[in-house]
Amino acid sequence: MTSYVRTEVYRNRRLPGDEGKLLPSICSLCNGGCGLLVRVNDAGYVEAVYGDTGNPYNQGKICPKPMEIVQTLYGAQRVDHPLKKVNGIFQRISWEEALSLVTEKYLEHWQTSGNSAIVGITSKIGGSHSKLALSIFSELTGLVTYGTGPICYDTEENVRKAMFGNGSASAPLADAVEAGILLIVGNNPAQTKAGQFHWVQEARYRGTKVVVIDPRYTETARQADRFLQIRPGTDGALGMALLHEVIAHGWYDASFVTERTNGFEKLAQAVTEFSPVRAEEMTGVPRRFIEELAWDLSTRKPGMLWEGRGVVCVNNAGNTLRVFEALMAILGNVGKPGAGIISHINGYGRAKGLVPGADVVKPERKRSAEALYSALENGEIKMLLIAGNPCANWPDCGRMQQAVSGLDFVVSHTLVLDDSARLADVVLPATHWLEEAGMQASVHRVMQWKEPVARPYAEAKSAGEIFRLLAAKMGLPVKYFPDSPETAWEWERTHNGDIAGITVERMRRTAGGVHYPCPESGEEAVRLFQNGVFSTPSEKVELVGSDVQELNYLDLLAAPGNRGLSRQEYPYLLSTVKVAAHYHTECQYSDWAVALEKPCVEIHPDTAANLSIREGDRVRIETPVGSLELPARLTWTVPRDCLFTQPYFTQTSPYGQVPANILFPAVTDPEGGNFVNKNIMCRISALEVAGT
Amino acid sequence: MMRVKQNSAPVGVRHAGWDVSRVGMLVDVSRCIGCNSCTVACRQENALQGSDGWLKVWRRERLGTQLIRYDYSQSCRHCADPQCLQACPTGAIAYGAGGVVRHHEEKCIGCQVCAMVCPYGGVKVMTNGKTGKCSLCAHRLAKGEEPACTAVCPTGARTFGEREALVREAGERLDALRRQGLRGRLEGNGDLEGKGGHKILFLML
Repeated sequence: MTSYVRTEVYRNRRLPGDEGKLLPSICSLCNGGCGLLVRVNDAGYVEAVYGDTGNPYNQGKICPKPMEIVQTLYGAQRVDHPLKKVNGIFQRISWEEALSLVTEKYLEHWQTSGNSAIVGITSKIGGSHSKLALSIFSELTGLVTYGTGPICYDTEENVRKAMFGNGSASAPLADAVEAGILLIVGNNPAQTKAGQFHWVQEARYRGTKVVVIDPRYTETARQADRFLQIRPGTDGALGMALLHEVIAHGWYDASFVTERTNGFEKLAQAVTEFSPVRAEEMTGVPRRFIEELAWDLSTRKPGMLWEGRGVVCVNNAGNTLRVFEALMAILGNVGKPGAGIISHINGYGRAKGLVPGADVVKPERKRSAEALYSALENGEIKMLLIAGNPCANWPDCGRMQQAVSGLDFVVSHTLVLDDSARLADVVLPATHWLEEAGMQASVHRVMQWKEPVARPYAEAKSAGEIFRLLAAKMGLPVKYFPDSPETAWEWERTHNGDIAGITVERMRRTAGGVHYPCPESGEEAVRLFQNGVFSTPSEKVELVGSDVQELNYLDLLAAPGNRGLSRQEYPYLLSTVKVAAHYHTECQYSDWAVALEKPCVEIHPDTAANLSIREGDRVRIETPVGSLELPARLTWTVPRDCLFTQPYFTQTSPYGQVPANILFPAVTDPEGGNFVNKNIMCRISALEVAGT
Repeated sequence: MMRVKQNSAPVGVRHAGWDVSRVGMLVDVSRCIGCNSCTVACRQENALQGSDGWLKVWRRERLGTQLIRYDYSQSCRHCADPQCLQACPTGAIAYGAGGVVRHHEEKCIGCQVCAMVCPYGGVKVMTNGKTGKCSLCAHRLAKGEEPACTAVCPTGARTFGEREALVREAGERLDALRRQGLRGRLEGNGDLEGKGGHKILFLML
């Protein structure tokens, strides 16, 4: 087991000097794609991280996370050698032994229970090389893996794919400076994309009207021209009212609607009852502001939309996302400079045909993320490959921990001995993104290449390397696995027409990276759909899917997770929200981050007064699936009867905090399949009074 | 295709050695998003661990006729007439080149009087009992670089440059705030020769 030493000695460290080298890298945390300059000393260790002034997208500006990461790189908690659990205690083993163990177990379960007895939860598998190696390994073995999708973006990707034929962002964030209006819904980029937030500010100085829709008065809302404080989970109703206004007044782009969209009549039909008056009752946003926003969207063109987890990781996400994206479509805000949808989803399609059909093994079963829990519990699944921290990051993480502990064999490929790794039978040390070369895509729809700035720590290996070694041991054809990140990218590029023109060489010599798609001809497309042709089968925007139900407004209390619960018993709504100093559970090992952010639950002072809770009092939050103790922070920025906490902190970190995900049921949005980490009914009670 | 960001704020440029007597910094709480990038950059640059810090971002909110919520990134203001310097019994706080107020750790006896008298909370007590404060990254200025905090600040809430230009910039920002119905004020905009002048200007809400 690792321990955490917090020295807290004043200036006990040498100042980062001018020795060594300054090497460029790209931050691989939030998909913002900020350019970094990393000071590496003569011994090859990372000393400090600065912003890269040569990167046109962040121009030397960064958020605290990449700096904090250095403390995680060489921290006491980093796993340095492969480990095997013997009688509950981890023992150091060699890579040879570790891989033999994994191979033996893998083949055993594959043969006796079929390939679906083994699954992967691989949200932190690594860079482009590791991702490709994983997909090749999956094709050869029929391994089903769950990435970041179910806990972050599945609904957003699925809805956009159904509507536009492509789930990724349609426009780069940098386009915002050319927009007439930027609509930010359920999103707080001032914290979640802090290093790139200056693009929003810059757009505002240049005359873009920035409108923020959020239940909380966020850091982003403070920097906006208009802030609409909405009742949690009612964004869909507001979106439908905006559609109602735009359609009723004929403010939409009629020629675009006729030529480039399908389903406009059904859409118009679905929103007829959503007048601004009704929307005001539902959302709490005054009617005149809804009308004003509809007018602004119609007159300030082009317009852009940036949705965040506040409308994606909720139980009525499908409807909400569909109406806002349909709104942008009927206004003709697609495929033009300053128009479109901004997102951190930067999918670029898969490389096809790397493994010939004869060698492809299909998975015997595919399970939804929600069904995974019961499959883990009932013995259907025997073995789990983890690269990530599902025992803290997945909802109902208490149940996930139980389920993972009950499995026959668990492998964790990880940087640190986190909550999930502790339950593993074999722990494999992973390389950090600063130690791995690869392509990093960004919110500006560019691909940037990064070189490793430091040697892999101790015996750490990347997943790209591990899957190759594992395949060799398992008797799978090794020739399908690339032997270096450069080769991996070359294979990927030559087997995916959309990125065929993006060579490693080209990324290396282009500051800020290369926009994609970029076919063989080498011509980059800054934004999608510029020719008005969409990637759907009809080549038009499908405003309404095959199922018109999708347009039915779904009340959050009647949606999964809340349905059937008593309002008297669980009168409050709980959500997790993000801060700039943390990213997933990675930054919590930095003592700077620990000093900056303490776990707390944000409560409106009126709500707190009703419950006799004062600032700093410890409170207990309960939902039907779990309970959690946290200190209270009173703030006027949140709505009454709503509680907000942060999802980052875990029990095995310096925080020693039960993860907030223990409170969220493992339910998904009915349309898109995303887990829910907002707007879940809960109750709260005061435990003790601060200072007594 | 690349676009170059044209920030209305003067962007701190590298040049061989600043005229330290003329430089300044503008800290604009209306633009701060509370990301704490400055805090961490300061700790990285000056080898400070854990909760030891020369810069601290305070979360502030005030409910009047409207809710004012801002983040106040508090650090030493490098006053022309510093009270900490006058109060220090050992001379640990002294003027450095160009009027930068320097704290010399080796002379500090940990009496913490400086931290007590500073009206701006600019001097911090460290975990070893001594005090510590911003050095305006004098070592970086000597290399022609801007201070660590302004170098990373993603929003222009901390900007470094010629102090005179920053005073003009602050005036423009105050006008812009007034148009939004927010009343701001500039602190430290006095004469650097006399009283009330600070090298670090604070635009407060």
